[in-house]
Amino acid sequence: MEFEEIYLKYSPKIYRVCMGYVNDDEQARDLTQETFISAWQSLSTFKNQSHISTWIFRIATNKCLRALEVAKKMPKTELPVNLPAPHEESQHEKLAILYQCIATLEEIDRIIISLVLEDLPQAEIAAIIGLSNGNTRVRIHRIKEKLAIKLKAHGQFE
Amino acid sequence: MDNLNDLKQLWQTADTGNLPGSAEILRMVKQFRNKKLSKKFRIIGMAFLSAAVMGFAMFFAHPKMLTTYLGTGLLIAACGVMIFTNVRSLKRFYRLDDCSNKEFIEFLEQTRLNQIYFYKKTQVAGLTLSSTGLLLYLYEMVHNNLVTLLLTYGLALVYITILIFVVRPRRFKKEAKKLSDTIDRLQTLSKQIEEI
Repeated sequence: MEFEEIYLKYSPKIYRVCMGYVNDDEQARDLTQETFISAWQSLSTFKNQSHISTWIFRIATNKCLRALEVAKKMPKTELPVNLPAPHEESQHEKLAILYQCIATLEEIDRIIISLVLEDLPQAEIAAIIGLSNGNTRVRIHRIKEKLAIKLKAHGQFE
Repeated sequence: MDNLNDLKQLWQTADTGNLPGSAEILRMVKQFRNKKLSKKFRIIGMAFLSAAVMGFAMFFAHPKMLTTYLGTGLLIAACGVMIFTNVRSLKRFYRLDDCSNKEFIEFLEQTRLNQIYFYKKTQVAGLTLSSTGLLLYLYEMVHNNLVTLLLTYGLALVYITILIFVVRPRRFKKEAKKLSDTIDRLQTLSKQIEEI
């Protein structure tokens, strides 16, 4: 697969995962670009030991997790739970709330739920993060529960 | 949560239209590569050039004093140390983006050991060679005039002292802190991965 094809196919997915992790458009763009710079540099050494999507998502998640400047800007506290009564939000506002709720999760959980929302199979998420399939399944279940509580507190998806 | 599918649909509505096109990303990739490598290549190139200039100067100027030959030899050796360490580190950080956190921590720990070794041994050797070389090299040029000699050696000693006792530890501290922060962060992440 050519680099251009990989970029066209995966850049929106990678951007969404980065956005889920950092909740900041500019940083998500930077991380997406850095991911593809790394992918381009190591494309010649990629020998199909894993699926191309596993490989590229692993690069992206490593970029996110290892970015110190991103870590410094991450929220250290939970969002307030008693928000004003919800009104009818636009898709855009709903998405912003989803990002905010994800941003309050632990780093690894943030990555996992972003990959879940990107509709990646559990086995692939396990391979990307470096967890066993069983652990991933339990983990995803717990993250979904945590996220549901947060979203309900914000009047979403009741 | 039985409306995960709604969330997935919502997730897909993120605006990705403003991402750079593939031609632009290729341009960025090449620019980035050139920028990253150019710093290393510049250092290596400058070291080569300096060594060559000093070698030629010695060959054509025929210095009379042994100190100049010794100084030039030591400065060329210092350039050699610089070239060797930079060439060796050229590809160090490649292929790390696809590895696990555990492998990355191991790599960083090794980097930390290398950094300490570089600070305590390689850099000391390089600085000793270049400082001694510089001081010896200058002697023939200034030994006839006491004022010039004192002034030149005074300035050279101040420069070397600042380099060794101010710039060098400060730079090491800064780089060591960055490395240590990265290791701490990765260890926190590893704990998160291990927690079930």
